[in-house]
Amino acid sequence: MNSNTEKNESGEFSEFQVNLNLLRDIDFFSGLPLDALKVFAYLCTQEVFMPGQYLFHQNDDDGSAYYVISGTTTLCYAEETGEAEVRDYREETFFGSLSILTNMHRLFSLKAKTEVRCMVISRQKFQKAIGQFPGLMPRIIKTIANRITRWEKQFILDHAGNWPDCRDHIGISLI
Amino acid sequence: MATLKTPVVKRSLFSWIFYQNARLQILLVFIIFAVVFARVLPLEMQKRIVNEAINLGKIDLLLYYCGIYLASVITAAVLKYGINILETLIAQRATAHMRKALYHHILTLPLNFFRNTQPGAVVNALINEMTVPGNFVGMSVAAPLSNLLTLLAFAGYLIWLNPLLACVSLSIYPIVLLLLPLLQRKVNKTNKKRVDQSRRVSSRIAESVTGIHEIQGNGAFGIEGRKFDTMIDKLLKIRIIWSLYRFGIKSMNNFFTSLGPFLVFILGGYLTIKGQLELGALVAFLSAQEKLYDPWKELIEFYQVYQEGRVNYDRTMELFDVAPEHLLTSEDRDSYDLENSIEVKNLSFITDDGIRLLDDINFSLDPGEHMALVGFSGSGKSTLALCVGQLYKYSSGHATIGGKEVSDLTKEDMVRNIGFISQAPFIFQGTIRDNLLYAVSAANSSSNNGGEGREPSLDDMISGLQQSGLFIDVLRFGLNTVIHKGRLPELVDAILRIRRNFKAEYGEELSKWVEFYTEDKYLYYSGISNNLIFGTSNTEAFTASRLASNDYFMKFLNDADLTRPLLTLGAELTVQTVDILKNLPPDELFFEQSPIGLLELNTYKEVAGQLKKKKLHQLGREPRRKLLELALRFAPGRHKMAALPGLLETLILEGRSMFHDLILKDDPDAISFFQMDEYIHSQTILNNILFGKTKSANPEVQEKINQSIIQLLIEEELLETIVEIGMSYEVGTKGDKLSGGQRQKLAIARALLKHPKILIMDEATSALDNKSQSRIQKLLEHRWKGKNTVIAVVHRLDIIKGYNKVAVMKAGKIVEMGSYIELIEKKGTLYELEYGKK
Repeated sequence: MNSNTEKNESGEFSEFQVNLNLLRDIDFFSGLPLDALKVFAYLCTQEVFMPGQYLFHQNDDDGSAYYVISGTTTLCYAEETGEAEVRDYREETFFGSLSILTNMHRLFSLKAKTEVRCMVISRQKFQKAIGQFPGLMPRIIKTIANRITRWEKQFILDHAGNWPDCRDHIGISLI
Repeated sequence: MATLKTPVVKRSLFSWIFYQNARLQILLVFIIFAVVFARVLPLEMQKRIVNEAINLGKIDLLLYYCGIYLASVITAAVLKYGINILETLIAQRATAHMRKALYHHILTLPLNFFRNTQPGAVVNALINEMTVPGNFVGMSVAAPLSNLLTLLAFAGYLIWLNPLLACVSLSIYPIVLLLLPLLQRKVNKTNKKRVDQSRRVSSRIAESVTGIHEIQGNGAFGIEGRKFDTMIDKLLKIRIIWSLYRFGIKSMNNFFTSLGPFLVFILGGYLTIKGQLELGALVAFLSAQEKLYDPWKELIEFYQVYQEGRVNYDRTMELFDVAPEHLLTSEDRDSYDLENSIEVKNLSFITDDGIRLLDDINFSLDPGEHMALVGFSGSGKSTLALCVGQLYKYSSGHATIGGKEVSDLTKEDMVRNIGFISQAPFIFQGTIRDNLLYAVSAANSSSNNGGEGREPSLDDMISGLQQSGLFIDVLRFGLNTVIHKGRLPELVDAILRIRRNFKAEYGEELSKWVEFYTEDKYLYYSGISNNLIFGTSNTEAFTASRLASNDYFMKFLNDADLTRPLLTLGAELTVQTVDILKNLPPDELFFEQSPIGLLELNTYKEVAGQLKKKKLHQLGREPRRKLLELALRFAPGRHKMAALPGLLETLILEGRSMFHDLILKDDPDAISFFQMDEYIHSQTILNNILFGKTKSANPEVQEKINQSIIQLLIEEELLETIVEIGMSYEVGTKGDKLSGGQRQKLAIARALLKHPKILIMDEATSALDNKSQSRIQKLLEHRWKGKNTVIAVVHRLDIIKGYNKVAVMKAGKIVEMGSYIELIEKKGTLYELEYGKK
């Protein structure tokens, strides 16, 4: 993946082609027909974030989804006492599929730990484009539903040991 | 003018005849008398020429009579022209007066009226339906007077010539008069239908234009097309029937009037043969009778215009015959300077359909108190705010401001004391400054506001922009302005100084996000043409849009071995871009990252089609030019569908220095090359300061660049100058060149600038980001509380803590009211809204 983007700088692959390949790897987009993927790949932009720079802030509605192409990001949660780091995300992670579907305020902040290169798509562009492909929305909803269920299944498996602690807080797949 | 007192919708069509046109109409009357005389005179001359001059063989008499004949014909023609001019003048003035009066009336109608009236209907009424009534007013004196007089004069003359013959030939006209109203009634009936249908069609057009996003988004071209076609077909049918009846009247009239000569020939011929009538008299009679047609025809036409004008006028005025709910100004007093306390007692608002939107509302606010209205959507909070602001008229109960009943106050009182920020603020076409001054200017322009109005200073406006958070946006608009050659020389010099400081202080730090113009580096965020020319063209020939047609430049491309690789690149761009964009609707958003513009897509679709069938060298001259044009525009930093091959990049860099040497030799003044100490007049102030282009649209990066530029502008004392330039930014129709947040900030700034005693905010900050929202909240809490009263309809509960009172609404009632803390402790409805049901 890294080599692709490096090559792009010197002019071998177009960013469009790189984006297209990346989208095919992302769960959220992978099942979509090529025509639609091409449009999304075209509408995506690549952005670079310097260490310490925020991709998005807690409580803001930045209205974008991000795919980390290279670098490490840190998920943060702001409390009254200050900002707590939740965990790191490395490359090949896709953030924010929900915020391109509807208006929402972030519950977390995402900060670049190293220099980070991202592929970004905005809600405005995503929604205008999705409107052109009437059959896509049901597939996307299916993907998201599957993801939520899979996530909770994994969560339950992972926490089988501390069962009493989490019992009150599980059930998100039942929404 | 006394007539102005009656509302325009109650005025009859006749009231316009002398309204502000009395002098012109009187002048007309005099001219008409002269014309009638000048028209009758030739008839008498005609008779004398035949009977006296010709019969008696007197040449001098012939010349004399012919001279008079000629003179009167010329006079009649000149005067007739004068009449036409006056008529047109009166008609146009009357139409303009009607339009203005009706428009002014429509502006004052209650909001409710516009829920049921489409903008298209208003446009149609003002533009189309006022034309014929105006024409009627223009004709109203001249046409009947001149034609009746002429008619009477000729009829009298005919009777004088031969009473019997005259009676017989005139007997036709009563028959026409009998039939005419019968037909006209049918015309009027269809005309009414036509007016209604035109209104519906206009409404539909306006609606589809307003909702064009939805239509294109849903691909509902068929649905909308069919709806429109059905309406147009119906209009077509009505118009055909209407025209048939109208021509029916004309044909009927023509038929009967052409019976005239027939009767004259039969009876007159008989009388002449019998020797009871001179031949000269018969000739005079025939031509006099013929002269009856024109005035008669004009009278009939006038009658038709009158009927049509009446129908259009009445039908239109009926539509707008609604009384404004409140007086605009009071005749006998200045507008009130109210104390800003508010009291609402037993207030209810019931819609026309009997639905109770507000039910028995009670609250009171002391001067300077702030109240938040919260509740589920549909609970009536906006309605309540609008009732207090006099935009809705409450059905029962009381609302008072400073002890005065709101429904008794004039609009001028409200405007002087109240500021209003609506949920979906409307921004008008014009500049930021125009919109910013909108509320203040409106308040100042009312005549009797106690003379306290003054134009806000630049400082006031800038502080309004800062408070609303629009400052940075306006600064950006200013920075994106292009200063043309020869203008603002001092500013240009200062910007060049800032450029040097920027490079020195921030060049290193921002080099990640700014691509500086460096002579030996490729510019990925500029087009290939800019990379080759590396400067601004001083002549038309080297501007970006002309390059591909410039033979000199084409020869240079050939010499630099660039033609073929650029054609290949152009072909790749065409094929890729067309492939991606081919199925997308024509929306600017989709073309932001495309080298092909929205309007060019079809041309390039054709080129792409040719590329499928032919090799590059087989293409014709025009498609090749198109490919080169596209390639020359290509900036790999912005257009991502193709990559710039490394070899081509090297060739272009070599081409840059080749072109530099070549043009300096051939035409040294043609290009101003990018140089650190030269202003670039083809580019924005921002690019001039950066001496380069920004690479990223990321807000945080923009913010960083902004901050450094602001710092430098402050040092040069130019910040306000640039913001002032930014205030001249044109916001587009309905402000559509601004984002939703910018529109809302502009609306807030324009209300703040007025500094109203009472501010009503209807979800005024809903489109703002957190920072801007809390900035405005802070402003209200720290600067306004205790001085200016605020009623705010609020959708987000995190901003209501600072309000003195929170009123929670449910189904048109206030269910609880108190301070935020009191209500949360009570664990009632607000608690439920905040934390969900337990």
